[in-house]
Amino acid sequence: MERQRTAWDFALMMATVVLLGALGVQSLVGTLYAWWAYRSVPGWETTGYPGFVTAMNAVAAPLAVALVLVMGLCVPKRLFERRVLVWVSVVGVAAGVGAGVLARSVQAGLTVYLGLAALLQGAVVVLTVAGAGGLAYMSEGRIAKAGSGLLHLGFILFALTVVAWQDSPVMLPAFVASALLLAGGSAMSFYARGSREAPSGTST
Amino acid sequence: MPTPASISEDLSSALATLLAIGRPVSALIVAGIVAVVLAACVPALRARLRAAVGALLAALAIGEAVLVWFHLRLGQACLTVEPQSGRVTGSFAVPLWIESEKLYVLALLLAVIAVGVRRHGDELRPLLAGAAAALAAAALLVGKPFTAPLPDFLAQYRGYLAAWASGDAAAAAQAFAGIEGARRFYYNAWYMWVHPPLLFVSYAAFAASFAATVLMVVKKRSSYEQTAYRWARLGYLPLTAGMVIGMPWAIIAWRGEAWWWSGKVNMSLMMWVLYTAYLHGRLYLRRPGMWKVVAALSIVAFVALVLTYLTTYLVPGVHSVA
Repeated sequence: MERQRTAWDFALMMATVVLLGALGVQSLVGTLYAWWAYRSVPGWETTGYPGFVTAMNAVAAPLAVALVLVMGLCVPKRLFERRVLVWVSVVGVAAGVGAGVLARSVQAGLTVYLGLAALLQGAVVVLTVAGAGGLAYMSEGRIAKAGSGLLHLGFILFALTVVAWQDSPVMLPAFVASALLLAGGSAMSFYARGSREAPSGTST
Repeated sequence: MPTPASISEDLSSALATLLAIGRPVSALIVAGIVAVVLAACVPALRARLRAAVGALLAALAIGEAVLVWFHLRLGQACLTVEPQSGRVTGSFAVPLWIESEKLYVLALLLAVIAVGVRRHGDELRPLLAGAAAALAAAALLVGKPFTAPLPDFLAQYRGYLAAWASGDAAAAAQAFAGIEGARRFYYNAWYMWVHPPLLFVSYAAFAASFAATVLMVVKKRSSYEQTAYRWARLGYLPLTAGMVIGMPWAIIAWRGEAWWWSGKVNMSLMMWVLYTAYLHGRLYLRRPGMWKVVAALSIVAFVALVLTYLTTYLVPGVHSVA
C-alpha cells in the first residue's frame, strides 16, 4: 500500500515537473524568438507581436490545463486510500468535465474542478492542524505537514484566481491570500525542524 | 497656488542639493569600492576584508539616506495639478528601487549579506564583497543616482510642466492625464512598494546561494551545498510572494494586453521553475551523483536570474524598457 502511494506521489511530482519544465522551455524559446524578431524584423512589435501572442497562448493552454488537473489530483492523496482515491479523482475530473460541457466553457469546468480541490485541500489543512491521523505526507512533523498543506492551498487559490476571478472584486485579496499561503507554507516547510535538510558531509 | 514655474524652481533646488551632497557621497562609495578590491586582491590585507566591505556598506547606507531625503523632497515638490481647475490631485511617492536606483539597491543588499554572512563567511565574503563592489561601481557609472537621478520620471514630469505652462489647454489636459495615470498606477501604486523589493531581496539571496554553489563545485565539499540551499530557500520565499503579488497589478494596469508573454514575465517564470526544480532536486541529494544535477540546476537558475534582469533592457514587451 505504502509503495503504491509513493509511486503515485512520484508520478504526480514527475508530471508536475515535466509540465512546469515544458512551460519553462516554452517561455525561454518564446523570449529568444521575441528578442531575435525584435532585432531582425522592422516593426515586429506591431506587425508580428499579436501573432506571436496567439501562437504562445495556443501552445501554453493545454499545458496550463494539464497542470491544473495534476494539481487537483495531488490533493485527495493526503486523505484517501488508493481505491477511494481513484474514485474521488475520477469524480473530481468528471464534475469538471461535466460543468465544462454544460456551460460550454473550459473556464467553467476548471473553476468547478479547482473549487472541489480547494474544498478538499481546506479539509486536509484543518485535519493536519488538528493533528488527525491517517493523512499521508512525504514530510515529517506537524509544522512541516501544515506548511505543505497551506502551500498547496495557496497554489489552488492562485490557480482559481487566475482561472475564475480575474475580473472579480475578490481578485486582489485572493492574490494576496495566495501569496501569503505560498510564502508562509513554504517557510513552514523549509524551516520546520528536521525537514528536508540533507546531511552535512566532508566531500561530494 | 502652485504654478509650473514655482514647481520647476523647487524641483531644481532639490536636484542641485542632491548633486552637491551626492559628490562627496559618491567619493565615499568609490573609496569603499577601492578598499574592498584591495582587501580582496592583496593577500596581506585579506583579514581586513570584512572591515572594508563594512566601510562600503556604510557609504552605501549614507547614500541611501540621501536618496530617501531626495525622494521625500520630490514628494513635496512634484505635485500633480489639474491645469483647467488648478486643483491639486496629489504628489509623488516615487519608490526607491526604480530606474537609476535599481543597481544601487542591489549593491546595498549584497553588501549587507557580505558583511553579515556567517556560515562559510570567510570563503563566501570575497565573492560577495566583490559582487557588491562591482554593482556599486556599475550603479555610480551607469545608474548615476546622484548625478542623473530618475531620468524617465523627471522627463515625463517636466514634459507635463512644459505642457501646462504652454497655455495649450488640450496639450496640458493630455499631459495631465498621462502624469496622473503614471502617478496612480505606477509610482504611487502599493505594488511598487512591495513587488520589486521582494524580488531584489530574493536576487541578493540567490547571489549568495550561487557563490556557495561555485565554492562547492570548485572545492568539492558538500557542506557548501547546505549553505547554498539555505540561501536559496531564503530567496525563494520573497521570489514567490513577489511574483504572485505582481499579478493583480499586471491584470489591472495592463488590462487588454498579453502581458504574460512579455519577455520579463517569461524569464521570471523560467527562473522560478528552475529554482523550484533545484529545491525539489535537493530532496534526492543522497543519491549517487545527484549533487552534480543540483549544482547544475543552481547555476542554470542563477544564469536565468541574470538574464531575467537583462531582459528588461533587451526584449520588448509591456514589462520592459527595450
